Amino acid sequence: MSFSFDENTETTIKARSAASGISIGPALVIKAGSHKISPTAITESDIEAHKEKFCSARASLVQELQKMSGGLQDKSTAEIIEAQQQIIEDPEIKRSVFEIVEKKLLSVDFAVYETFSSFIEQLKESGSELFRQRIIDLEDIRDRYVSKVCDHATELKVPEGAILVASKISPTELVNYYEEGAGGLVLEKGGITSHAVIIAKSLGIPCLINADKATKVVSSNEMVILDADKGGLILDPSDEVLKEYAEKLKGAQVSVKADRAAGFETKDGFPFKLMANVEFEAELPRVSEMKAQGIGLLRTESLLFGKKLRKDVEDQEAFYTAMLENSEGPVTIRLFDIGGDKNARRPYKEANPFLGWRGIRLLLDEKKLLRSQLKAILTIAGKYPDRVKLLIPMISVVEEIDQVRDEIERMQGALLSSGTPIDENLPIGIMVEVPSVALSAFHFAKKVDFLSIGSNDLTQYTLAVDRGNEKIHTLFQHYHPAVLKLIKMTVKGGEKAGVNVSVCGELAGDEIGAACLMGFGINELSMVPNSLPAIYDLLSSRNKNDFDELAEKAVDLSSSEELEQLFREWKDQTA
Amino acid sequence: MIKEKVTIKNSAGLHARPSAQLVKLASKFKSDFYIHSYGYRVNGKSILGVMTLAAESGAELELELEGPDEEEALKAIKEAIENKFGMDEE
Repeated sequence: MSFSFDENTETTIKARSAASGISIGPALVIKAGSHKISPTAITESDIEAHKEKFCSARASLVQELQKMSGGLQDKSTAEIIEAQQQIIEDPEIKRSVFEIVEKKLLSVDFAVYETFSSFIEQLKESGSELFRQRIIDLEDIRDRYVSKVCDHATELKVPEGAILVASKISPTELVNYYEEGAGGLVLEKGGITSHAVIIAKSLGIPCLINADKATKVVSSNEMVILDADKGGLILDPSDEVLKEYAEKLKGAQVSVKADRAAGFETKDGFPFKLMANVEFEAELPRVSEMKAQGIGLLRTESLLFGKKLRKDVEDQEAFYTAMLENSEGPVTIRLFDIGGDKNARRPYKEANPFLGWRGIRLLLDEKKLLRSQLKAILTIAGKYPDRVKLLIPMISVVEEIDQVRDEIERMQGALLSSGTPIDENLPIGIMVEVPSVALSAFHFAKKVDFLSIGSNDLTQYTLAVDRGNEKIHTLFQHYHPAVLKLIKMTVKGGEKAGVNVSVCGELAGDEIGAACLMGFGINELSMVPNSLPAIYDLLSSRNKNDFDELAEKAVDLSSSEELEQLFREWKDQTA
Repeated sequence: MIKEKVTIKNSAGLHARPSAQLVKLASKFKSDFYIHSYGYRVNGKSILGVMTLAAESGAELELELEGPDEEEALKAIKEAIENKFGMDEE
């Protein structure tokens, strides 16, 4: 018996596959997280019980905090924990909660929500920059408080191998669930290149998106099968089906272990490098398992948006050190690329966030944040000479490079004069993700040591298609010939200036993309670790001039569809 | 009850770390502690209260203490503010 997911039935849900693989396990349905609490009236005889609920919630939150800090003795962790504890035990919180419960006779969950929200509003209204980052912390503590007093235990009780079913999920939440044992992800929304999906791929867990009404149809703890190879979810499978899938799983696990003793080169000996894109420490085992030759893109935004804010220099250094210690080869650290889709909780709404205050534009305004990150990266680069590279996101004009270089030099000077060793040859590169940079690549390349093409954003800006918008997902074509043309121009500009060009982005992990990139002469590709074996097989089994021929034809085509056709023929011919 | 005016000297203002230290210090004393600033009055033992002050560098605060150890508390708090909470300027 074999399943097809052409349409929804009572026991199957059709979905789009976003990260391949099969996973069997109990469902864990995550209901939309925002705790919009409505006021519930209580009677006077309830007052004491509600006050008690508050006190015990407060005590157990403090206890959890202390458990969290157990073992972690460093100063900055201790400070964060202490700050959180101060907020939880704030006397004004207690006073206001009790007042709402006693005088307004409203339930404690609402009282807590209302109290925190009013402080958060005041902070936002004060317009001060001082605590803008703290607002996220406060919202987090508020939500934890509310769920504690509500009794619906939201403690992460994740059964081993759980398949998460959610409307949407943040990358941090996903990593937390993963670390607790989750083994699959089903989303009602999301695009192929949305942030959480990229992380799912990177963690190696199968993922489905556009699974309509999944959170309503599926219930927690029921056994489900996630088949991301065929694009569907099976509810309440029979023993027979379970057995069939269990066998498929066994087979799949063996084939992942690709043997790469042959070395990283094309059939005729042209060398290439395959690197990994990484954001969380949890991804590192996957990186070495897939035998990546380094980290081609280390995203750092998780330091700012995680459960714990890790913005201080010491916290950052610890994060970078862990990445370097637990990987081999170079590590390209990208400066905070905040904005666009990566900062949903930002207080200011922009009409066009992807064309707005993001990446280096934001960092050059927020000098303190930029300097703290430069200090951390430059210090670590000095400790691990020749291993760290620094990458600047969202460059659109050359002046931005001068300004960042200026900051880097000043920070290096300051470190040297305080006796901290630095890496004098630290390579500094920029992301090529705005068409202006590709079009004038030479002028940008002259000012840096390397160019790294961010294919997702380059596609988004070239084809004018929001990559998170599911309505237009078919327009997001990262190997569209127009995008490839811009990449080719970038390579030319880089060659003329004598700097290396690499690609990090989904295009590098796509067979068609990787083949064309190789043909353009780009031999350093960074991708989600899971894509590595397939790309390795493709690149190592053909000659360099096969790729050259494909790429030459590709840029002259009129559509992605034509390229897909061409690629199929090419693949057969060169096999 | 005693009152005294002070000026915030930390160049980055009363940001997260100094606020936390101020609250921690004040909480060691029995006396009630309120801060007046530009028409607002907040509980100086409340981190959220102190945060909503958003006191920038140079902001003038009036400290108000009332209780058995008010003199001692005022002295300690004043000293901490004068010393920029022992923080190196960043």
